[in-house]
Amino acid sequence: NNNPRYPWIRNNDHSKQIEISDWLTMEIKDFIKYISPSAEEIQARNNTVGRLRECITGMWPDAEVHCFGSFATDLYLPGSDIDMVVVSKARNNKYDNRSSLYQLSSYIRNNKLGINVETIAKAKVPIIKFVDPATKIHIDISFERTNGIKAAELIISWIKDTPGLRELVLIVKQFLAVRRLNVVHTGGLGGFATICLVRSFLKLHPRMATRSIDPLENLGVLLIEFFELYGYNFGYDNTVVAFDEDGDPYYVSKNSNAAFQNRNPFTLAIQDPHDKNNNISRGTFNLRDIKRAFGGAFELLVNKCYDMNQATYKERLGQSVLGDIIKYKGKQR
Amino acid sequence: CKQRRKFNFCTDCNSKTHSADRCPNIWRSYITLPQNKAHKFKYPADLIYCYNCAERGHYGDECLQQRVSKTPNINGSAFTGENLPRELR
Repeated sequence: NNNPRYPWIRNNDHSKQIEISDWLTMEIKDFIKYISPSAEEIQARNNTVGRLRECITGMWPDAEVHCFGSFATDLYLPGSDIDMVVVSKARNNKYDNRSSLYQLSSYIRNNKLGINVETIAKAKVPIIKFVDPATKIHIDISFERTNGIKAAELIISWIKDTPGLRELVLIVKQFLAVRRLNVVHTGGLGGFATICLVRSFLKLHPRMATRSIDPLENLGVLLIEFFELYGYNFGYDNTVVAFDEDGDPYYVSKNSNAAFQNRNPFTLAIQDPHDKNNNISRGTFNLRDIKRAFGGAFELLVNKCYDMNQATYKERLGQSVLGDIIKYKGKQR
Repeated sequence: CKQRRKFNFCTDCNSKTHSADRCPNIWRSYITLPQNKAHKFKYPADLIYCYNCAERGHYGDECLQQRVSKTPNINGSAFTGENLPRELR
């Protein structure tokens, strides 16, 4: 009962559950509780952000500092980075230049606000990367890019109106992170794309669309069916995941919009909710491995359910259903 | 008061696609909400889309077009009209 690779099962035994999908639902909740930040961790992150904001607006009084990404939407895993953006109050791109970039990076270095400070000026989105000395959390600061803030606002509203979204997204993110399939530079699936896939799955699911189940009571079967849809059945060559003005998902054929056509038809296409001609998963070129990983997760979970369904009570003790697909490799919490 | 209802697409579990100990009903079981006056299930016409051909109006398991995914779907999936609450099928 003390396997360090799946520490969330400690003191949480569900082996007496009659339905294996209930066991899995409970394990998902245990895992989320296990990886959720403690009050002290939240405080430490907020302090870091507050201190940086104060320093930056102290240096540039006409600047605003916003957070976006997983920190702003409360979808972060232990060790996730913090994404920040500096915008001019007048929205005139005043800080979108090399000299601001270097001014801020030397300020951070000189005032010991960060260690391992790197200034990446030549990228499409120039950023400053560093590590917060107090919490050892990685921080990225970009300039004058407001689309991240807009996306964060949309995600926050989606989490509010879709119970189960937060839980499934955290599980899928951890699943992808352990396999390094969450890094967009290497063709992986980014955080926003993951959220879009989970939301579309949940809203279009026949049981969810008719409101005949409570997702929080059915997280186990829903997780398996998420992997079933995107690992086995989804017609990636043809089908685009899209959202209307109200944020309701639908599918549309790739043929209907030139923005989704590609020399390789086997690519993931997700229509940007804010721009119909933009594919937000354009960078996810490694769909082959992602689909294979989802399909493998489906196989493993389903087989574990069959095995546990057949097993005696003694054989079930100390077992983890989720542990076949989710590993936890950080320091023990 | 919650009711448990088994997914019953596969009515004959001795069917050719799997044996009883590997029946998808083992894991595809939902804790369902009861339908009553306060909570009526509604046919989700604007949320039925096909994962295969992207058309509206049917689910991917019932698609008549050629299957796009190279991975086979032997036992059926969650996205079938059979998975709507019985009252709406």
